[in-house]
Amino acid sequence: MALKDIKNKIASTNRTHKVTRAMEAVSAVKMRNTQQAAFKGRPYARAALSILARLSGSADLKKHPLTQVRPVKKTALVVMTSDKGLAGGLNSGVIKAAQREIGEKKKEEVVIFAYGRKGEEYFSRRGYTIAKAIENKRDDIPLSVMEELSRELSAGFLAGDYDEVKAAYSNFKSTFEQIPTLRPLLPLSVEAVAELVKDIQPIKGKWAEQAPIESPSAYEVEPSGEEVLGVLIPKLVAVSLYHMLLEGKASEHSARMVAMKNASDKSKEVAHNFTRLYNKIRQAAITREVSEIVSGREALAS
Amino acid sequence: MSKTFHLTIARVGENLFDGEAVSVELPGKDGAFTVLADHEAFVTPLKAGEAVVKVAEGKSERISIQEGGIAEVSKNQTTVLL
Repeated sequence: MALKDIKNKIASTNRTHKVTRAMEAVSAVKMRNTQQAAFKGRPYARAALSILARLSGSADLKKHPLTQVRPVKKTALVVMTSDKGLAGGLNSGVIKAAQREIGEKKKEEVVIFAYGRKGEEYFSRRGYTIAKAIENKRDDIPLSVMEELSRELSAGFLAGDYDEVKAAYSNFKSTFEQIPTLRPLLPLSVEAVAELVKDIQPIKGKWAEQAPIESPSAYEVEPSGEEVLGVLIPKLVAVSLYHMLLEGKASEHSARMVAMKNASDKSKEVAHNFTRLYNKIRQAAITREVSEIVSGREALAS
Repeated sequence: MSKTFHLTIARVGENLFDGEAVSVELPGKDGAFTVLADHEAFVTPLKAGEAVVKVAEGKSERISIQEGGIAEVSKNQTTVLL
């Protein structure tokens, strides 16, 4: 390799390093923000859940249309991925989890609700029905977007378009660990929501402390359990979705930060190796020239 | 000094009120009601309106409720989910 080529390679590697380092820094900031958002909603979900837990014994919960378990003929799958790549194995993990759920089911038996372009691309390329595709661009998603999605999912569920709704998303454990997760959403069950709330806190770090959910006590329900549940259950579905989305966001930025960190480290190493090689070749050329001059001089002197 | 109870008013992602209160006035679906300390435990849906939290004698806070929600009252702990 000529000296000039190596020099160009070093320069381009350094440029890549600059880019990845900048992306790493950006992701780190976004990660902090999204993590914070994910945990700020915790008290809310906890409170909603404890109300539900107290009502769970009542017959009204079993009667509510959104909790009805039916034989499953058709499944709706909410796939939450990112719009952009360069985030390590994040999206492929989520897609794999969704694919595992689909398993042996026929393509007609599955409807996909894609939140984020990566999931949409994957499933539309393979000929699945995409009921709805939503872009996953912003970080500060208002709850209303999720409320709309949950209304749509609930309506489809009630109309019998599908008999269960499941969601695949990336569960944020820590900066280095994100677990692709699949959770049932509808029919709603206390256990599923409890599991989701349990997942909200990461294993360690600032947000890891855990307050127990108070044990149920008897109380008056006014005007009727049916009416309270009618307000509470749609809220819970929307909040569940919202949490999954926040988890996904936190995961995305963490995964990207780690991926970019690795890329930065690697590019540094590559640049270092190239610099070595460059110096070696340059030194070899100088040594050769010196020895040529010396031998030429000796030939003249003799 | 009148008796206080713990009140939480929360929307997803933010706490609108979290602390001790003397009383809270809420727009219940079947009419407004006021919760004081040691109120009997109950749950009820809310409609849009305004929550008036009395933090201390002569000092109150108003929080608007846009779309209704759910109020859960148990012994000295009231939670309002919007």
